Amino acid sequence: MKFLDHLEEWLIAFLMGAATLLIFVAVVHRYAAGLPIPGVQDALLKIDLTWAQELCIYMFVWMAKFGAAYGVRTGIHVGVDVMINRLPPDTRKLYVLFGLLAGATFTAIVGTLGATFVWDIAHTDSVSPDLELPKWIAYLCIPLGSYLMCFRFLQVAWTFARTGELPHHDVAHVEGIETSDINPYGMADNLHPADATPSGGRK
Amino acid sequence: MSTLAHVAPVGAPRWPALIPPLMIAIPLALKSAGFPVANPWIIFALLFGLMLTGMPISISLGLTVLTYLFTMTTVPIESVALKLFTGIEKFEIMAIPFFILAGNFLTHGGVARRMIAFASSMVGHWAGGLGLAGVMACALFAAVSGSSPATVVAIGSIILPAMVKQGFPPRFGAGVITTSGALGILIPPSIVMVMYAVATNTSVGALFIAGIVPGLVLATFLGATTWWIARKNNFPRQPKATWPQRWRAFRESAWGLLLVIVVIGGIYTGVFTPTEAAAMSAVYAFFVAVFVYKDMTIAKVPKILLDSANMSAMLLYIITNAVMFSYLMTSEQIPQELAAWMLDKGLGVVAFLLFVNIVLLLAGNVMEPSSIVLIMAPILFPVAMKLGIDPIHFGIMMVVNMEVGMCHPPVGLNLYVASGITKMGITELTVAVWPWLLTMLVFLVIVTYWPTLTLVLPQALGIIK
Repeated sequence: MKFLDHLEEWLIAFLMGAATLLIFVAVVHRYAAGLPIPGVQDALLKIDLTWAQELCIYMFVWMAKFGAAYGVRTGIHVGVDVMINRLPPDTRKLYVLFGLLAGATFTAIVGTLGATFVWDIAHTDSVSPDLELPKWIAYLCIPLGSYLMCFRFLQVAWTFARTGELPHHDVAHVEGIETSDINPYGMADNLHPADATPSGGRK
Repeated sequence: MSTLAHVAPVGAPRWPALIPPLMIAIPLALKSAGFPVANPWIIFALLFGLMLTGMPISISLGLTVLTYLFTMTTVPIESVALKLFTGIEKFEIMAIPFFILAGNFLTHGGVARRMIAFASSMVGHWAGGLGLAGVMACALFAAVSGSSPATVVAIGSIILPAMVKQGFPPRFGAGVITTSGALGILIPPSIVMVMYAVATNTSVGALFIAGIVPGLVLATFLGATTWWIARKNNFPRQPKATWPQRWRAFRESAWGLLLVIVVIGGIYTGVFTPTEAAAMSAVYAFFVAVFVYKDMTIAKVPKILLDSANMSAMLLYIITNAVMFSYLMTSEQIPQELAAWMLDKGLGVVAFLLFVNIVLLLAGNVMEPSSIVLIMAPILFPVAMKLGIDPIHFGIMMVVNMEVGMCHPPVGLNLYVASGITKMGITELTVAVWPWLLTMLVFLVIVTYWPTLTLVLPQALGIIK
């Protein structure tokens, strides 16, 4: 389980960094190849980076699918929690559980749709326009990411059902001011449900 | 001190829990009993009912579409499912993760600190002192960052403790920074503008250029409010900086300020597309933070990559589902019907814009900006086009609306960030921000009914006609 957690974190952080570098290199290459430096220009012109945009898109799509699963584990997904945060904890608990299970249902459906879709196009010879990568490999992130997300929803629901606690990056836990710990979308505001413990997560 | 301001006590009433199931059940029951309930009502009842249960917005969007498709329509599910897979395969959308990454590097990289020093050397000796410098620093940081809460974190966490130390009332500082931080999404680059561009097929570059003049005007308005309050209460000022001191502060912050030119200049001259500019600014911000200012060690980079990926993925996941939802809207002809109905009622531009403002301000009470823009823009945009409203003007107006929503409870993101920094409660902060919030509302009216303010710069530069 620890291994899966680390793999997930490592994968999305890598995709983020790699896509940034890729576009940076592609832009620098485009302009450097226009400079009339003897020798260098010819060498640069021989390198073809037209596939960079497409690869960047696929990297970010993969990052989005696996990152969304990671986001369930960190509790970052925003919702409309104004009403349920005003309910007594035991009633709120029912709603939060309903929400988590709805998330699991939705991602399971999408994962299954995705798996069928990937299976179908794996039997065609459809490839992406620039990279000529078989499309089913590019779209493999949909079943994989969605099933992982489904698993994360169930995992969070299980912990929540037993303890009444949800994952938070709660700014209130920070002593002193450390900017790196303030996550604008990960706080106990009304965009995220509060814990269903009697204190509602209050310290 | 906790930021959990609105969590109910154990004895709170339970009846509101009945709202979501009733919201969904009543239209469905009426429909099955044979009453002519139009499909849009079913869709919206389902969406808002699911949202109110507190589940992630992305999930409620997706479930609404799936439920509707499985039960009510003959649109083949494959064609909609395809949207789920291809919905975010646009290069413009990829500007969002890049701008988030760039913003995170800038926040941790010491850029904000030097911008504050520069701003305070320029305007710190006037009434308002550090408060006025805070407004200017927020405007400067907004020109390199695309997010409002990030601007509040970057500027606020440095300037607010300094203001309290100088003897400003905590409320004053919190009010200034919470509202000025909202400039983050109006002064380009802006993540919310990218969302609007994606939802309506407008040009990101034109929106960015159009945001400059309104952004500077709003910064001036907020600065004037700050100045006026500070002068009335005789708040402390900074000693006047000499020109050599100002020059030194400028040179120190020049690395950050240069990024403004890279992004805006690059997009305007066509050197980069907006997405490329975002990627370049991420690399540049990394370089400045680690190698020039050395405020960040290379060991912190993986954590920043992970945090940026986390936030980006959350937003991209909303986009994926919102694209699917807007496809459903279009295939059910809902925006067209709304437009026809409004024209039929003789609703003019003035009344429509008022209606849009009210709807968006109400939505700002329960949702954050990206979700609002992604859900509302595809519905309202076609109507605005029918009425002959400029697409860029409409976009900027939506962004200003979102800014207001970020500064008041129950969900204002900026308020929660400021509360995290100052350890003030949300109720106290709400009182603290009202003079600036009122200023913003006045500005919103100006932006709404005076399109020239928005369109003058892009027209002068020949970007739009």
